Amino acid sequence: MNGKIVPSVCSYCGTGCGVLFQVVNGKLVGTMPLKTHPVNEGKLCIKGWHLHEYVNSPTRLRSPLIKMNGRFRQATWDKALHFASDRLKAIIEKYGPDSVGVLVSAKITNEENYLAQKFARAAIGTNNVDHCARL
Amino acid sequence: MKDQIKQWLQQGKVDIFLGYKMVEGHPLPHFFVKDRLYEVDELVTGPIRYPLEKLAIRLAAEDPEVKIGLLVRDCNRRALNVLFLWHQLNPDNVMSIPVNCCPSNLADQANCSLLKPEKAGPYKEMVGIDNNISIEEAKGFDQEERLRRWTYEFDKCIKCYGCRDACPVCFCKECSLEHHALVKTGDLPVDIPIFHLVRAVHMAGRCIDCGLCEEACPMDIPLRLLYKMVNQIVLNVFKYNPGIDSVQSPFNMLGDEVTLEPKGLNAA
Repeated sequence: MNGKIVPSVCSYCGTGCGVLFQVVNGKLVGTMPLKTHPVNEGKLCIKGWHLHEYVNSPTRLRSPLIKMNGRFRQATWDKALHFASDRLKAIIEKYGPDSVGVLVSAKITNEENYLAQKFARAAIGTNNVDHCARL
Repeated sequence: MKDQIKQWLQQGKVDIFLGYKMVEGHPLPHFFVKDRLYEVDELVTGPIRYPLEKLAIRLAAEDPEVKIGLLVRDCNRRALNVLFLWHQLNPDNVMSIPVNCCPSNLADQANCSLLKPEKAGPYKEMVGIDNNISIEEAKGFDQEERLRRWTYEFDKCIKCYGCRDACPVCFCKECSLEHHALVKTGDLPVDIPIFHLVRAVHMAGRCIDCGLCEEACPMDIPLRLLYKMVNQIVLNVFKYNPGIDSVQSPFNMLGDEVTLEPKGLNAA
């Protein structure tokens, strides 16, 4: 029997509430609010209280899917990333870089958002970057 | 205290000791074990309270034989008593070390998050219920005003179930608050006052007045006061004090045959 408490940040919205995960025998069994966190001060909404449920959910997507002939099929990360890059390249070649837009998220970190806009501007060559909070 | 914990871990009197450790400036609950004995030196105590006994229940649900040690304040002690009576933890497998919490001339320092309650704002004072007033003061309003003030408080509920999830003595496998016949899903505000009164009724004879529900409530509903009022009725009518009396609550409907079966950890 082993267990630990892992401090983390809630991944549901951009607020960034501090949470504590309870891990027993390597499995996530519960979530608690982090009492001394400056953002949520020991309080959480219902989604935050149940973070451990989606991690263990049987319907959780565990591998990328590629849509072929109208149906999603499981694929490896390498295959999915290649597929995405090939299609993006083809579209950019045919219609120009401004035919692509990148939508970033409040749920990911600042650094990831920075990388996403860098990808849009430097790799794709478009200023079409927007954010889910503006939708 | 740290020597005692080390001794218990080394002698195998406890497999896991639940205490607090400073992590990145936050006092967090921590599982101290024999393999990492040096960590015991980093054990801290302070005013921040987490439901350690709730963690203990989760551990016991995974392995009913595990021997658990934990730091206990007065509120933890009362919670443990209730959990023993309701067969959620086995008293033979739980060892505790008392820590200072309530203010006294004999103690070096008082250490409890309840000692510095948040002051109610002027609007809440005017239309709602100040979380820090006494039962007598709360009963002082005339009936119509009382209903209006409590309705204002209940109206704010965002149905996060935090009061239940933070509660050290909430352990039911099936919760009435999740029963679709009692509480409709998807609606806000919740059914008033059914949602809060269902919980209040279930807290009668069980609530140990630790105040963690109120600390977890994002909307500052005076839950502690509500459950105090319910428990005052239990005390007046049944002469029963949950967490202090060593018999089961007068509302025990489960009978004596309750086992430490693993709860639906995988159901999530």
